[in-house]
Amino acid sequence: MKFARLPGTRSLRLALGAVRERTGAPGAELYVKVGNTRRIEIDPWMTPLPVDPDDLDTQVSILDERGWALRAGGANRALFLADSGPLPEPNGWRRLSRHSLRPGTLRLPSPASGTSPGTAPSPSADLAEHDTDDEETAGRALLHGVLRRLGDRMPEARLIRGRLDTGASAAVLASTTGVTGRTALRLATVELDFAASRDGRQGHSRLYRAASNLQMLSADSIASEIAERLTLATAPAPPFLPAGEVAVSPALGCYLLALLAPLLQGRDGWRRLRELGAGRPLGPPQLQIVDDGALDAGWMSAAHDDEGVPTRAVALVRDGEPGEPLLSWEDDGWSGFAAAGCRRRSGWRALPELCHSHLHIGGGAEAPESIRTGIVHGCYLLDRAHDGRCHATFEPSTNGSAGSLGEGRFEVDAIGLVIRRGTVLGEAPRVRLTGTVRQLLQGIRAIGDDLRFLPAPGAIGAPTLLLTGLQVEAIA
Amino acid sequence: MRSNANGAEQQRRLISDVAAPADALTRLVAHGDQQFEAFFERVESVELLPKGAPNRVRLRKEQGLAVRKIENGRSRLAAADTISGPAFAACCDRVAGTARSIGTAPPRIRTGRWPALRLAEIEQAESRLTRAVNRRRVGFPMEITARRHRRQVQVIRSRVAAPPQFEEYFSLQVTTPWGVWGGLLPSLAAEDLDPVALCLVDRLRSRSLPPERPGRGVIVLGPNAAAVLLHEVVAHALEADTLALSGSPDQVVGLRLGGPELDVVDDPRSAPLACKRSSDDEGTAAISRWLLRRGRVRQPLADLAWAERYPSMIPGAGRRASRHRLPGPRTTHLELLPGAIPERELFAEAAGGLYIGEFERGNLDPFDGRCVLRAPCGRRIGATGPSDHTGPVEIRSRAVDLLAAVAAVGDRPLAGGAGWCAKDGALLPVWARCPSVRLEGLEVAD
Repeated sequence: MKFARLPGTRSLRLALGAVRERTGAPGAELYVKVGNTRRIEIDPWMTPLPVDPDDLDTQVSILDERGWALRAGGANRALFLADSGPLPEPNGWRRLSRHSLRPGTLRLPSPASGTSPGTAPSPSADLAEHDTDDEETAGRALLHGVLRRLGDRMPEARLIRGRLDTGASAAVLASTTGVTGRTALRLATVELDFAASRDGRQGHSRLYRAASNLQMLSADSIASEIAERLTLATAPAPPFLPAGEVAVSPALGCYLLALLAPLLQGRDGWRRLRELGAGRPLGPPQLQIVDDGALDAGWMSAAHDDEGVPTRAVALVRDGEPGEPLLSWEDDGWSGFAAAGCRRRSGWRALPELCHSHLHIGGGAEAPESIRTGIVHGCYLLDRAHDGRCHATFEPSTNGSAGSLGEGRFEVDAIGLVIRRGTVLGEAPRVRLTGTVRQLLQGIRAIGDDLRFLPAPGAIGAPTLLLTGLQVEAIA
Repeated sequence: MRSNANGAEQQRRLISDVAAPADALTRLVAHGDQQFEAFFERVESVELLPKGAPNRVRLRKEQGLAVRKIENGRSRLAAADTISGPAFAACCDRVAGTARSIGTAPPRIRTGRWPALRLAEIEQAESRLTRAVNRRRVGFPMEITARRHRRQVQVIRSRVAAPPQFEEYFSLQVTTPWGVWGGLLPSLAAEDLDPVALCLVDRLRSRSLPPERPGRGVIVLGPNAAAVLLHEVVAHALEADTLALSGSPDQVVGLRLGGPELDVVDDPRSAPLACKRSSDDEGTAAISRWLLRRGRVRQPLADLAWAERYPSMIPGAGRRASRHRLPGPRTTHLELLPGAIPERELFAEAAGGLYIGEFERGNLDPFDGRCVLRAPCGRRIGATGPSDHTGPVEIRSRAVDLLAAVAAVGDRPLAGGAGWCAKDGALLPVWARCPSVRLEGLEVAD
């Protein structure tokens, strides 16, 4: 299957000229996106499992997506218009007039504010076409492989829902300020929901994984992860819980970081980070928290963001101290910090918004196994508990915005293991990990070398972490 | 005025000629077990953000089509973001698995005009809501985002074309210093904004109160809260795909879920004026479906695929969030039929109990039947009815216990409890009409 073709920058410039002529807008920007997705869904009634993956009972959707968005206006009046289908021809903008602009403001980045003029190269730009028919066969084989291997490991596991999406998208943008850019991405995601019952105890496991292509998703490791989680979720509660060290897996580390992600952005995010330390380091010297829109081999890696501003690595926390803020082009130069491309659109219908792309805790030097076996008296928490709590609360400030990070508390329900002197004493089907954000960061004692990313949305990454000073309690 | 405008828009067809695609679909059928369906969709959303927001007015329009093959309950769907003959032919080829599946020339498909863009009613929402709040002798800062949603749908199945459907409704998001209220409204007229103002004032008065833990006493749910309760524990629980997680969906028919005062109907035809549906998103005629009749399950919610698997089930409740999603059985407009008890008598002998006017969130676990309902605030019931405000209330209970606790149903049903249902990530507007209900002896879990 071939992509619908993206218009060239010349077509976009012609369209921009027509829009300005019709509306009288001082500035305008056009963003065009095309994509295709092949979705394979599997429901409980579609099992039992056939021998041949091609006979696997599934529902398939083949989706072609295509749309564009226009932003036009200036200091007092503005317009946002999004529509599906191909970009109108230059004479197709007749419905626009000066009255189409309504009260509002529009500011657009210019090459002078740190953007690259001309077409910026994208590391994934060569992926614009792929054979989705082959991907359907490969997708069925992956789902079949997961079900077969899980059946071997844990016959009592029951599928609730499975969904595999493979797809690619490409976008082009141009503005009257001279910014242009193209991006192309490929992504495969798998979302699986299983339940099991052992000795009358019900347990659930939901797994959501992503990779740049389908071949990077392994049926064996996915089945192993699900079996491991279901085994823990259906285990009896431990007679006691040691409240010493807590090691958290990369998966749970990602959820913890995701709770903080929205609060680390922009000028406010920088203020919160500075206040969090209160004159002391935020965490151990090996702690790095980085957002990198151009991360090598990242799922969303692109040379520039969805406004055409070049991306780069931004170390929010560097060597345990506040590093630099994640600033959009509008705040370029604020307090002497440079902007980075960090405004993204969730689709062609959406306006660009400040958000992270590959936010992660940088990998350390320790092997995860040595972190786990090094626990003297504590827990190893593997993942979130299904339908359990996972939230952070912050006292609102007087102006209604989110308050300081330091006073913020988090609560995460998790599944894991009770460990003493490196030996597993038993399973913990549901424990509640609580503490303040300050305790969370300052309590980091070791950072593993197994950095892993999860879709969160965007990409959030963490390695195995050893934490102290947090509260852990068993819950029913 | 508005009903006339909507009437005219309902008559407007999304595509001008249904015969050509209908004829093309018949050519796809290879044998009697196959059904083919074409779904044409046009969506418009106009958003007005609070003053000072960049790009304050945001207009999103989209149209597209999907072709689906249903065979032995399984679907294969192909969708495109444009309505045209070549796009239709390409989708047919993809679901049929062959090139030129409907012949060499794609059918001619022409679309009608978009409905006229009207902004005035959205622009007046803020001042109307402010006036409704001020009438209650309070005032506080509010940031209001108002949206109007319009959707036109045309479904063609083989040679049968269902009547085109048109929906128009509004959504509001009101941000105050103590939280965000969000919900759906059939219009932005004063009578629909007044209940919103009441919710906002209740939240103001309970803003700093600690969470309330309901005991085993009486709980009276207002119409909005009763609608959310029934959406979770009756509608979701009786969707064929939910039922299939724990057994055969048709085996629940006849099962007693509640007392004889519970008569619950799903009827898309009696939804608020501009949201009425005569057919579902699969082109099947919508019916008035008894979900519970005197407390017993009568007819679960089913779409075509589930009705094909279980012949005793009746399709007509198939809904899709967009052309890119497969349809699933969902409720559209839930009604709890009124009881014989006057509204004020629901509060009799309920002193010390709790009155809940609205739930902001509800969730049903389809495996163990546990339900969680969260209310931003409540009110203590005094000698004459609701009196002192309380903080947030969370009810955790099993669905069967919640229904068994319904001891009385009021006699005055009101439209309310409308909201977005987000099951499986597919966002769908749902409507309801309920009287107040009284719960007694409810087992509340921690």
